[in-house]
Amino acid sequence: MTAEPQRADLDPELLPVERGYINVLRVRTLMSWLPPVVGAVVLDRAVLDDSRWQGALLVLVPLLAALSTALAPPRIWMRLGYRLAPTLLQVVRGWLFHTDTVVPFVRVQHIDVTRGPLDKAFGTATLVVHTAGTHNSIVTLPGLAPDRAAEIRELIRGHIRSDLE
Amino acid sequence: MTDAPQHSADSAPVERLHPFFLLTGLGGSLRGIAGGYAGIGYLAATGRLEVAILGAIGLLVATAVGIFIYWRRFSFRIGADEVRIDSGIISRTHRSIPFDRVQDVDITQGPVSRLLGLAKVKFETGAAAGSEEGVLPAITLARAEALREHVRARRGLQVTRAEAQQAEPQPLFAMDLKRVLTAGVFNFSLAIFAGLIGITQTFGEVLGFDPFEREFWERALQQAGPVADYVETHRFGAAVAGLLTLILLGLLTGIVRTLLSDFRFRLDRTGTGLRRRRGLLTLTDVTIPLRRVQAALIHSGPVRDAFGWRELKLQSLAADESEKGDHVVAPLASDAELTPILNEVGWQAPAAELPLERFDRAYVWSLLVLLVPLALVGLVQVIILPLAGLIFLLAVAGTGLFRWLAWRRSGFLLEGERLLVRTGWWRRRTSLLPLRNIQSIDLNEHFLGRRFGIASLTIGVAGGRGFSSHGVPALPRERARTLRDELLSRFL
Repeated sequence: MTAEPQRADLDPELLPVERGYINVLRVRTLMSWLPPVVGAVVLDRAVLDDSRWQGALLVLVPLLAALSTALAPPRIWMRLGYRLAPTLLQVVRGWLFHTDTVVPFVRVQHIDVTRGPLDKAFGTATLVVHTAGTHNSIVTLPGLAPDRAAEIRELIRGHIRSDLE
Repeated sequence: MTDAPQHSADSAPVERLHPFFLLTGLGGSLRGIAGGYAGIGYLAATGRLEVAILGAIGLLVATAVGIFIYWRRFSFRIGADEVRIDSGIISRTHRSIPFDRVQDVDITQGPVSRLLGLAKVKFETGAAAGSEEGVLPAITLARAEALREHVRARRGLQVTRAEAQQAEPQPLFAMDLKRVLTAGVFNFSLAIFAGLIGITQTFGEVLGFDPFEREFWERALQQAGPVADYVETHRFGAAVAGLLTLILLGLLTGIVRTLLSDFRFRLDRTGTGLRRRRGLLTLTDVTIPLRRVQAALIHSGPVRDAFGWRELKLQSLAADESEKGDHVVAPLASDAELTPILNEVGWQAPAAELPLERFDRAYVWSLLVLLVPLALVGLVQVIILPLAGLIFLLAVAGTGLFRWLAWRRSGFLLEGERLLVRTGWWRRRTSLLPLRNIQSIDLNEHFLGRRFGIASLTIGVAGGRGFSSHGVPALPRERARTLRDELLSRFL
């Protein structure tokens, strides 16, 4: 990534999610780095003992972990946005692999609002929208305030039809 | 109908599967324990014959007892409004399927079942493809047909017995033996070799048989004496003969497989949908409810296209008997034969000449960019291992060439209320997707495509499986956005 991407890069109509989501991502990134760090320590002690490279992994892997924890979450947050049009939900995310998903409300089969321990700690919730599609039948929108998630759920629920045409 | 149940499911008589299920079910179970055979084979091959025989007997007895208990614990009741199925040995399942939810009743007969006059019945509820809900594994064929009639009658589609016994009307589409054999030729398959590789990988070492080792052939040739000399002196001829054998086997596999599945293929229009009957040993009788059809796929290939042959599949919410969610309604048909089938679904066949809008040229370029590093690897290989390197380079070049050929004939068209997308050169595919069946749309951009300014659309459609997703692969970014808006216009 070159210049610091600004929020304004995205369509101004897109709403941001809660800032607390950055912290959720931070903890998640840290946790995902835990096994590699442990692996690096074990490797360093067991295999690279007495070699020239001893200690290199102990520095390199935690450094990578710290860097990605510091840099990636704000960028992911910045690239994540959603829009509620009168009849459809749009979720935009990602840069390397950018996805812009549109789901018409009438196509929604059911909706979940999930809150994991991390979500609870940082005051966010995830909205999960299920469609009947085989590809991409589950659309998630993380990082919403719980009230906002419930509000969107109620809004979409009004449009759900019981059966397919 | 004479035997229509009048009472509710609670008071209906409890029925069991036909006792011959003990036979038909055994066949299925014995097929399912391949691991056990591997163990026995291993024991036998390593010389512990008694243990192997004991193991085989034990396995057989255990399976038979299992089947018997399953049969004892499986019962069903058919009421006027619903069917109740109680099953399970340790964890019991009590399932109730209201007939209002049943689209149709599928009947399948395996070879043993046909001899015994039994059938497997599946209540088609339109649940997710592949789920085993509402299956009666073995009841008499007459009972199965009565059940089907009962379900149809409830849906207001009663076909009276007299009507049913009249000569059947002209089928919508049918295949004679010649057509089935022709279809088999196009089903050329080397799957048998994949199977052989798998078997030799598993058992080869034990049996001292490994055709993928040079040593094996050297030994075999030494033992063969004169043949070996002949092969040595006519290397080119031997290679050609090997290739011919390969082609012949591939053709034979395809023909046999097609014959088994598509023999006496017949498609009829019924009240709710299209009824398909086919099979040589295992007869299947499946109804595809028209209301559940989501999209149509027309497949072809360069050779088939030259003869004007197409394959038509319907992507449906209802599950097919195989694992895939796409129902083949015409394995090999001409355009003239496809038109009436598509018309029955309420769609028009695509015109021969379509004003397609092409994908962006970057569809080819973005792949070539990825192929460049592979080509470099190939070049290095040519220096080290000339032959392998050359084959590798050819494969890389072929991949690029195929993409270019595919691009030349690919394109999409918004035709009124439907999207038509044509892709591929070797595996030609034309998909017809009514806009009202769109569930969601993804607009994807990745770091490489962004350099070319392209984006792709992926369309979520219900039913279908695996890789058969719908979409438009490479469009200029702005065009992708406008196309998405056009596709979604009915939802705005």
